Order: sequence, then C-alpha cells, then structure tokens
Amino acid sequence: MSHAGHLLFIIALLPFIGALVPGLMIRAGRTASAFFTAAPTALALVMLMILAPAVLRGEVIQAEIEWLPQLGLSASFFLDGLGLLFAGMILGMGLLITLYARFYLSSADPMGQFYTYLLLFQGAMLGIVISDNILLLLIFWELTSLSSFLLIGYWKHLPEGRQGARMALAVTGAGGLAMIGGMLLLGDIAGSYNLTDILQAGEAIRASEWYLPALILILLGAFTKSAQFPFHFWLPHAMAAPTPVSAYLHSATMVKAGVFLMARMWPVLAGTDAWFYIVATTGLVTMVLGALIALFKDDLKALLAFSTVSHLGLLTMLLGFGTEAAAVAAVFHIINHLTFKAALFMTAGIVDHETHTRDIKRLGGLRHLMPVTFLIGTVAALSMAGIPLFNGFLSKEMMLEEASHTDWFGSHYAVPVLATLGALLSVAYSFRFVAHVFLGPQRDDYPHTPHDPPFGMWAAPALLATLVIAIGVAPFLAEGIVTAAANAVTGADLHPHLKIWHGVTPALWMSVIAVAGGALLLMLHRPLDKGWIAAPRPEAKAIFDRLVAGIVALSRGITDSTHNGAISRYLAIFTVTAVALGYIAYAGSGLSAPTRDMLPVPPVIAVGWIMLIVSTISVVGMHHHRFRALVLIGIIGLSISAGFVYLSAPDLALTQISVETVTIMLLLLALHFLPKLTPKESSTGLKMRDGLIGLAAGGGVGALAYAFLMRDIDTISGFHVANSYEGGGGTNVVNVILVDFRGYDTYGEIIVLGIAGLLIYALMHALLDGPSARRLKNTDYSEDRSRDRHPLMMVVVTRVLMPIAMVVGLYIFLRGHNQPGGGFVAGLVVAIALLMQYMASGFAWTQERKRIEYHTLIGLGVVIAGLTGAGAWLAGQPFLTSAFTYIHLPPIEEFELATAMLFDLGVFLTVLGAVMLMLYSLSRIARFAGQTVNEGPMDYDPGEAAKDRDTED
Amino acid sequence: MSWVLALPIIIPFATAVLSFLFRKGPEGRWLSVVGSAGLLIASGILMAEVLAEGVIAAQMGQWAAPFGITLVADLLSAVMVVITGITGLAVSVYALADIDERKEALGYHALFQVLLAGVVGAFLTGDLFNLYVWFEVMLISSFGLLILGGQRVQLDGGIKYVTLNLVSTILFLAGVGLLYGMTGTLNMADLHGAVQQVENQGLLVVVAMMFMVAFGVKAAVFPLFFWLPASYHTPAFSVSAIFAGLLTKVGVYALIRTFTLIFTSDIAFTHTILLWVAGFTMVTGVLGAAAMNDFRRILSFHIVSQIGYMILGLALFTPLAIVGAVFYLVHHIIVKANLFLVAGVARRIAGSTELSSIGGLYKSAPVLAVLFLVPAFSLAGFPPLSGFWAKYVLVKASLDTEAYWIAGIALAVGLMTIFSMTKIWGAAFWTPHPSGLEPSLSTLPSRDRAALLLPIASLAVLTCIIGFFPEPFVAFAERSAAQLLDPTAYVAAVLGDVPMEATGLAQAEVLP
Repeated sequence: MSHAGHLLFIIALLPFIGALVPGLMIRAGRTASAFFTAAPTALALVMLMILAPAVLRGEVIQAEIEWLPQLGLSASFFLDGLGLLFAGMILGMGLLITLYARFYLSSADPMGQFYTYLLLFQGAMLGIVISDNILLLLIFWELTSLSSFLLIGYWKHLPEGRQGARMALAVTGAGGLAMIGGMLLLGDIAGSYNLTDILQAGEAIRASEWYLPALILILLGAFTKSAQFPFHFWLPHAMAAPTPVSAYLHSATMVKAGVFLMARMWPVLAGTDAWFYIVATTGLVTMVLGALIALFKDDLKALLAFSTVSHLGLLTMLLGFGTEAAAVAAVFHIINHLTFKAALFMTAGIVDHETHTRDIKRLGGLRHLMPVTFLIGTVAALSMAGIPLFNGFLSKEMMLEEASHTDWFGSHYAVPVLATLGALLSVAYSFRFVAHVFLGPQRDDYPHTPHDPPFGMWAAPALLATLVIAIGVAPFLAEGIVTAAANAVTGADLHPHLKIWHGVTPALWMSVIAVAGGALLLMLHRPLDKGWIAAPRPEAKAIFDRLVAGIVALSRGITDSTHNGAISRYLAIFTVTAVALGYIAYAGSGLSAPTRDMLPVPPVIAVGWIMLIVSTISVVGMHHHRFRALVLIGIIGLSISAGFVYLSAPDLALTQISVETVTIMLLLLALHFLPKLTPKESSTGLKMRDGLIGLAAGGGVGALAYAFLMRDIDTISGFHVANSYEGGGGTNVVNVILVDFRGYDTYGEIIVLGIAGLLIYALMHALLDGPSARRLKNTDYSEDRSRDRHPLMMVVVTRVLMPIAMVVGLYIFLRGHNQPGGGFVAGLVVAIALLMQYMASGFAWTQERKRIEYHTLIGLGVVIAGLTGAGAWLAGQPFLTSAFTYIHLPPIEEFELATAMLFDLGVFLTVLGAVMLMLYSLSRIARFAGQTVNEGPMDYDPGEAAKDRDTED
Repeated sequence: MSWVLALPIIIPFATAVLSFLFRKGPEGRWLSVVGSAGLLIASGILMAEVLAEGVIAAQMGQWAAPFGITLVADLLSAVMVVITGITGLAVSVYALADIDERKEALGYHALFQVLLAGVVGAFLTGDLFNLYVWFEVMLISSFGLLILGGQRVQLDGGIKYVTLNLVSTILFLAGVGLLYGMTGTLNMADLHGAVQQVENQGLLVVVAMMFMVAFGVKAAVFPLFFWLPASYHTPAFSVSAIFAGLLTKVGVYALIRTFTLIFTSDIAFTHTILLWVAGFTMVTGVLGAAAMNDFRRILSFHIVSQIGYMILGLALFTPLAIVGAVFYLVHHIIVKANLFLVAGVARRIAGSTELSSIGGLYKSAPVLAVLFLVPAFSLAGFPPLSGFWAKYVLVKASLDTEAYWIAGIALAVGLMTIFSMTKIWGAAFWTPHPSGLEPSLSTLPSRDRAALLLPIASLAVLTCIIGFFPEPFVAFAERSAAQLLDPTAYVAAVLGDVPMEATGLAQAEVLP
C-alpha cells in the first residue's frame, strides 16, 4: 500500500477514534470538548489537502485491507475527484459546525455527547464517499442513519425531536435495506463488490436482466436518503434537531449522500431510459413540490428544509438527465448549495437563538438590530434565488440550460417549463426569507430583544457567505475541483469552463422570468398564503403516521385474535398443523405391501381393547366430574399394564402398575383441594371442532402405527439381548438397558423426576403465599369429611403390610438385574408402602416418624448415580462404564455385585425421595387448609380408649 | 476423550447438587457462578479439541455405537456449548443481584444449573432418544424456573408453557418410536445411513414432519410459538434472559441437526415447508412485537421473529445459508440474552417494564443506554454489529438461490425490528420518566450494580467483537456448515471405521 494509501486510511479512521474523546473531555469544559472535536477533523482535512494535488491531477489513491474476504467485503478506500470534493465538504463543514455549535448549544445541553455523535456521523459520511467497496459503503450508509438518529433526537425532551428521529431512521433505514438488496444484485451482475471494478462494468450491468431491479432498489436507498418525493417528508421533521445538526445534515452531508450515490453510480447506471425517466422525473417533481411548500412555511427552518428538498430534487434531476454537461452542473451546484444553504441554516439558527422564535410571521425588521446577520443572510439568500454575481446563479443557469433542451416523453416544453417554475418558486421563498425576516418595520413584540451574536457564532456563516461571493464573482476558482469531480462522475475527460456570462441564451430568459415571477409571487404572498392554508392538501407526515398506526393496528388485530390466551386453541392449532403436515407429506406416496400378517385376536384381548376404548371415550365424556375421570384413567392405566403382560413385557407392566398406583393416589389427595366439577367452558360447536381434530390426530397416529407394525424391520436390539449377560452382568435385558446400555438416559430421567418433586414443593410454597391461600383457609371441609378418617382396620392392615412391602421392595431391587424389577419399581413400591401409612394415620403422625429429609434423599440419589458413572473415570474408562463381579458368601448362594446396582440404588433413592416430597407438599396444603392434626395413629384408638377407661375407674 | 465430552454435562449437574445442598446460604449462588465458570472452561477445552481433532465422539458406558449412547461434538455442537457457557456465566453473575433469597431457598440455582446441563446435553448427544431425555430435563427445570416466585401471571404462563411443550415432546417421542420402527436404530449417525435404506420413503417424510412440528414448538416457529409470548415476560429477568438466549435455540439446533443429518431424502418438500415456516415466523413475530408495549413482551416476540431467520438458513440449504444460520444462532443468543438483562436493570431502576410508565434512562443512566444500544441495533441488523453480518449472509444466500421474496421479507422484517427497537429506545430512554423520576444506576448498591452491569457489558463487548472482526466467526461458520452438509466425518467419528454392515444390524441376525 502506498504512502498516500496509509494517509487515506488514517483519514477514514480519525473521526471514529476522535469520537471517543469529546465525551470524556467534557469534564475539562465545553471549549476543550469543542477543541478535541475540531482537532481530528482538522487533522483529517490537512491530510486530505496533502492528497488533493495528486487527485486534482487525475490520480486515484487507493488503499485496501482484507476484512471479510469470504463475503467479498474488504476495507478498501479510494479517493478520486468526487470523493475529494465530498470529503472536503464533510470535513470543512464539520469544522465550521463544531465552532458554531460551541456557541449555539446552551450550557444545559450535554455537549460532549453532541460532539461524539457529530464525529461518528462525520466518520460515517466520510466513509461513504471514499469507500471502494459497495458493501463497505453500505455499512457506512447504515451508520449515517444510526448516528443521524442520535443527532436528530439529541433534544430528547422534545417529542418532535424523538418522532423526527424515528421517522428519519425508519425512512432512511428502509431505503438502506432496499439498497442492501440492490447492491447485492449489482455485485452479482458485476462479479465483484469493488467499486472500481463495477465502474468498469457499466455496459454489462446495463445489459443485464437484473439491471432494472438493482436500479430501483439502489435508487430507493438514494431517494429516501436524499428526501426525494414521495419520501421527502422525513426531512422537515428532522428539523427538530439543534440547528448545527440541521445545517450539517441538510446542507453538506446526510441528504447529499443519496446524491453522491447517484453520482458515484452514474457511469454504471445512467444513460438508459429507465434511469432518465425515474431519476429525472422524481427530481423534477421534488424540485417543484419542495419549492412550492417552502414558500408557504412560516417556520424558518421548515422553509429551509423544503428548499433543501427542492434543491436536492434539482440535483437529482440533473443527474437523471444523464448528459455530461448536466453532471458538471450537478457537481457545481453541490458546492454552491452547500455554501449558501449552510450559511442560511446558521443564520436561521442565529435568529432563533437571539429572538427565541423561528416563526416568520412574528419576525421582520431585524436588519437594524442584527446588521451582520442580515448581511450574511441576504448574501446567502440571493445566491439561493440565483441572482447574478452570487454562486447560485451560475449553477442554476447551467441547470436551466440543460433543462431547455431536454425532451420528456416527446414533449419539448414539460421539463423547461417546470424547471423555470421551480426556479421561480425558489426566487420567491428566497426573497421571502430576506423580506419577511430582515426587512419591513422594526417590531416591538419579539419574544426576546435580538442583537448580533458573538463573533464565534457568526464567523462560520460569514466565511461561507464570502465563498458564495468569491465563487459567484470568480467562478474559475472552483474549476479545478469541479473538473476533477465531474470527470470522476462521468468517467470522461472534460474541461468545463465556468463563466458568468454565456450570452443571451434561453437559460437567461428563463432566469429573468423566474426572478420577475418570484418577486411578483412574493408580493401576492399574503392572499396566496390564505388560500394555501384554506386549501385541503395531503400531509405526507399524516399519511406516514396513519401508515404506521395502520401497521400497529393490524399487528394488534392479528396478535390479539391469535393470542387469545386460550390453551385449547393453541393445542388445536398445534394438532391441526401436525396432522396437516403429516397428511401432506404422505399424500401421493404409496406404501409397499405389508410383510407381516395380522395376529389372531383372542377374545380376552378384544374385550380388553374394547374396555380401553370405552374408558377413553368415557374420560372425554365425564371429565367434568373429576373423581370419575380419575377412576377411569386408572382403568386405562391398568388395561395398558395388562397389555404389557400379554405382550410379555413384565418389566413394563410392573413399572406401569406402580406408576399408576402412585399417580392415582397423589391425584386423589390433590383432588381434595379442588372443586369436584370442572366448569363447562366450551360451546357445542367448539366441542365438535375439537372432537374432529382429536379424531383426525388419533386416527393418523393409529394408521401410522398400523403401517409400521405390519412391516418387518431390522433393529439393534439383538445386540442388547446377546450382550446383556456377558457385557452387562444381568439377564434382565430391560434392566441392563436401563442401568447400563442406556444408563445415561436413566440418569437424565431421574433428575427430571427429582426436580418434579422439588417443583411440587416450590409450587406448594407459591400456593401458600399466594392469593389462593385465603380461599384454601376458608374452605369448609366439614360437609364431605368422613367421620372415621383414619379407620382402625386400615391402620392395622397398612402397618402389617409395611414390612412386607419393604421386603418386596428390597427383593425387587436386588433381583432387578436378572429378573423383572429394578430400582425404579422398587422405589415406587416402597413409596406406596409409605404412602399408605400416611393415608391411614394422617400426616402429622407419620411425619414424626420420618428420619430423613426428602430433599436430601433426592440429592443423595442423584449423587450416588452420578458418582457411580464418574467412578468409571477412575478406572480409566468412559463415563458410566459398568463393572461387575460375583461374590460368594457362605450362607447364601453366589450373587453378583455390579456397579450398575449402585447406579440403580441412586435411581431408587431419587424415586422414593421425589414421591415422598410430593406427598409432603400435598399434606402441607392440607394442614394449611385447616385439617385437624391427629396426634395418634387413628381416630378411635382402642388402646387409648381402654387406658382412659382404666383411669376413670 | 470421553471426559472432554462429558465434563460440560457433569459440571452443571455437580454444581446443581452442591448449590442445592447450600441453597439456604450465600454459598449456593457463588457455587453457581463457579460452576458456570467451570462449564465455560470445559466448553473451551471441548472447542479446542474439536478444532484440533475434527468431530469427536465418546461412547457412554463403552458400548460401541449404535448400541449405547454416543456423545458427539462437531463444530456446531462445540460452539453451541461454548455459547451456553458464556450466557450461563453471564446470567449466573447477573443472578447474584437479581434473585431473592426466597427463590434461592426453593432451589433456583440448582434448577438453573440443571437447565444448563440439559441444554449442553442436547447439544452433545448423538442419540435421538437421549435428545428426548435432555428435552425433558430442560422442560422440567425451565418450568421450575418459570414458576419460581409463584405469582399468578407466572403460573398462568407456566401452564401454557409446560402444556404445549409437553405435547410437543410427546409428538417427538412418538416420532422417535416410529423412526426406530422403521430403521431399528436411535443413533443419529447410524440413522443417517439407515434412513436411506428405508423402503417406504413416504412414511419417512411423515415421520420427518412429526419431528419438524415437535422441534418447531421448541424453536417457537409459526404457528407453534404461542407458548413463548405467553410466558417469557413473567419470570425473573435472569430466567427470561437464559430462556431467550438458549431454549428456543435448542429447538433450532435440533431442527438443523436432524434436517441435515437424517431427513434429507426429500429436501424439495421438507425444506420448502421450512422456507414457508421461516417467512411466516419472521413476519408474525415482528408484527406481534409491533403490537406490544412492554419491554419484555416486545423482546419476546422478537425472539420468534429472529428464529425465522435461522430457519431460513436451514431451509435454503446451501452452504452459505447454513453459514448464515450458524452465525445467526451464535449472534442471536448473545444479543437476545443481553437485551433481557438490560430490561431487568431498566425495571430495577425505573420501576417497570411497561413502556408507558418508564423513561428518562438516557439522561440519568447513559451507561445503560449505550449498553442497550449495542444489542438493540445489533438485533435490528445495523452494521457493523454482529446482527448485520447474520442478516446480510442470509439475504445474500436467498438472492443466490433466487428466493427473492424471502430476501424481501427478511429485509422488511429488519425494518420492523428497527421500528420496535426505536420504540423501546424512544419510550424508555429518551422520553422523560412520567413520574418525573430520574432513574439512576447509582441508586443500586454497588455490589448489585457490578453484578448486573458486568455481564451486560461483557456480552455487549462480545457483540462488538463479532461485529468488528467477523472474519474468524464467518470462517468458523463455513467450516461448520461444511461439516453439516457433508456428515461423513460425523458418521465416521461416531460409528468408527467399522462399516455399517459389520455393526449391530449384521450381528443381530447372527445371534440367537
């Protein structure tokens, strides 16, 4: 990379690095903060000036580093005439704005933030104009949207500021997104994202079938940024920003980005009919419309804003003409517009600052009070009007000249007439700016008595006004840069001569008409203004607001109607989606012939099957009655267990039965606190709908299962059967699968179970602290309470059963590895035994006899299982590798000890702990609900009664 | 090798048990932080190993695949585990100041760690049924986190959450059963080969649809996402953040994994459906957000909308599109979790998440404003933040495959996202507080302030790093996409060099 390339890099980076400083320096004072903003800008400007001579000679300075090569993005910059012109404007204006803002902002405004945003914005703009990669350009483009958002909304206490900022971001952001699409298409057509390559590929791009979409998308970006009709409405609302921001964004930078882009892409995209009709027409309409609205704006800044819209239209139109001379005019007008418009904004800012109003109707006669401001404002306004000897005249003449020989859909007059009309209106509002603010009688009702501001505040506009006159009188001063920039735009080798006098040309006559007409219009302003105010006209802002409100309303409608909070609807949507997708997927594809025959159906099975179906249907029918539904669910569970037995799956049957038992018992206890009936919530239609959906889903799953069952498959299960004893040390393959082959799954599942226990406990807490606690407390259980809650018989039976159940549990646990059983079932069996004690003797009695914390039991189970798995590591084996050995203790026959059993012990403890914790939670609720606590094991204790009798005797 | 893969699961489990034992004291929460840090380190080791060795696998219990359960990590799994470690650590630090002692005593930290273990387990498993187990672990622990505190809205949201998710896991389980009924195996690498031999490919696609719907619920895609906006705005902010970051992404991960490794037989059908799903998900999510006026509710709907982008990457099924999906996943987790953390701080100092009743944060808490701006504009896809690259890659991939309409939708949804983010920005940050309050970070105790802001700042920095230096991340995503689209290495790592015939299927016939 060349030395100049390095400089270019530093120029690009300086504003961003500098942006970090002012925010910090604000503690050192406002002037220091301003100084540290100016420093990087000035430094970058000096470097630019060092590069300028070479660029003016026609050289192009390039610099590149890879950034994201996979996506064709590199941080590559290049500086040609157009880039130099814009970079100079951005940095130069940046300096002036820094100075101006230092005096403009009040001490209440956080100036450090302001300067930080300003530098960020400046860096982003600078990036746009010197990017050599269109993706890089896009990035900077979006960055300008973001940083301008922060700048426009800087006065965040003003609602207009916030709205204006959001609107600007929405419109320019939308355009930016369109541009992403456009740039991607462009890059695809050209085969490169490098501007220098793309600029060479103009022919190919214009010939491509994707030229028009790419053009439209890119133009959307440019038009929104440059506030072209119909996207012009955001710009005036961005005027809620502090004036330095407006002066910077709307004269030299932000809005010029769109113009810059069109100029940059000119060699590639211009020269086609599509380009001419889209760009030139949009420009023309914007120019006239903007000028017309500007004339009737009473807010000084709004007037300037619409005049900016109008002038941007003018520039767009010139670029749209697609001729080289028009491009030269556009480049020249960019410079001129910058000088007079920035000066005018600053003037407006001074007037606002001094009089505390920007309302033209409350101003007038300021020329004696603020002579310096008057002078600056007048010079700039006359230039804007296009009066000879001011620079605006020169470029306007060139524009009118170009317009005078442009045909539009075969018409010779459309463009010249409308261009003249635009110029005429421009003259009118420019004159109005001077006449209605500075001229006329001095008033005594200004909100604040004005006088000229300090030098620091008028220095910047004065400098710009000087430039206005200098270029206006001696246009050759600008020739060098205009030539360089115009050559960069057109890609040709032009030598334009900027002159004041071209002889008596059509353009001159058009100018004369414009000035005379404009003056006349101003004289008629009062009646016209009345008419304007009375006339109905579409307000773009209102339309935009309605659009946004419409979208919000639409979203709200859609969201509210779909998210109605009804879980049944969500489930219906889920089921319908699943069934529909499954059906669509199946539709059309055939099935191979079944490879299995139907097994014979013994009567027992048929009966069981019918029972299953009937009870399922009954649950649906009777679910309002909770208790009955629960009984039916129990029947279903038992039928399924029976099915497992029939199909020779004793392990599954055992597990299913114990799970059923525990669940039903716990549910029974829980039902106690719930209403006996569920309310009827669904209408008949809804029930029909849900019934149909349910049938479809059930039928679908059934059909699928049938299809699968009728066909043979190869499975890996043979391996498990074969290796269960040799590899896993157990003959019960189901158990070996659970604790060994797939012990990892089991480990996850016991954690699920343990947490379920904890959750119920947590929910119980929530319940007792929450609003339902009061309802619970007030429940009257006396009606449905049994007289004999803890019957003697039950107490005795459960006591007797207890040790037996314990032994059974132990037995099931120990034999699990070889016979049906295992830790899970054993845990449940023991839990059932304990559960029965609770049911028989009540909670309080049993609780006193409890020795271990249930939480701990769960934790212990998880730890034991986990450690067993991790123990394998100590032996240098993978996690969960099992080991087993056979031990012979004399009185008992030889038995086996496997680490898997230890794992199973973890399962056992977790299951037990979880179930007991659930029970504990339920009984806590019961006690809270005011159930009396019994001290003894049963309500009527014969032993106690006998004792009582004895003492009585 | 085994411990490299198992550690990221063991550590959170062990931490869960320990912090559960110490749940009534301050030790519990610090254990959680230490455990999360341990997870992050373990995930780093895993990543280093995967980067060096390629796909790595370990057989649990030393049972050769496909008979036991295989843990396997390719680049996608590894990066998801790393990102889980990062968000996990960030959120557990944040929780130091966010979770009250009552929730701690009920086992918040244990549930949180179990959730992390479940998420990591899902990313690392190579077995379809085992994936179901991790889904259960995640579901139960997330349900616990959701209802901890027990307020009415929480329970209401929690019920919807658990019901819809439970139904989806049942569908998943049914799908697993049917797939086993067709292929006789559960190992995902084994399935890759086995599904190609299935005779009735039509049935296979039906089963694929079951998986798509089941995972679709988890990933919260259109029209299955209802549980998400119903529940995510209710729990503690730490919980919202970890949910927002990780949970739906497990669904997306599962979709990517199964629809690149197993269900690729009828791409023209399955991935076209996914493309439609992606489009509708993006649009409905963002419309939902536009209708909301609550900080967290807006963010919740945006999760849905963003999921659409990731699905888009999978649906297009080109190398570049998968790159986009992977990149999007990583970017999104960091950004989304962070936004919820910011919402928590805003709530803490400004008193609410309802946009109409807060404000003034920009003026009185500028640090928070900057910390919001970074993830918010990254989410909206502003350059040069991470979200821009993610969206850019996907739009480019759409244009490359000539799916212009979806590129248009992706861009338009980006615009709506900007709209939402500026809505929050305008209301919570720019507009003065309606009650004249000046919500300031200095009202927080300094310890809380550090615990809340440190994670937010770290995640924001990460977002910026991905944004400014995207090259290594994109390069990584490219390698990952290559692995996904050509699972040879994955299958070889799991099944070893033994050809398919010599493993289970053949042996099963030999043995009695």
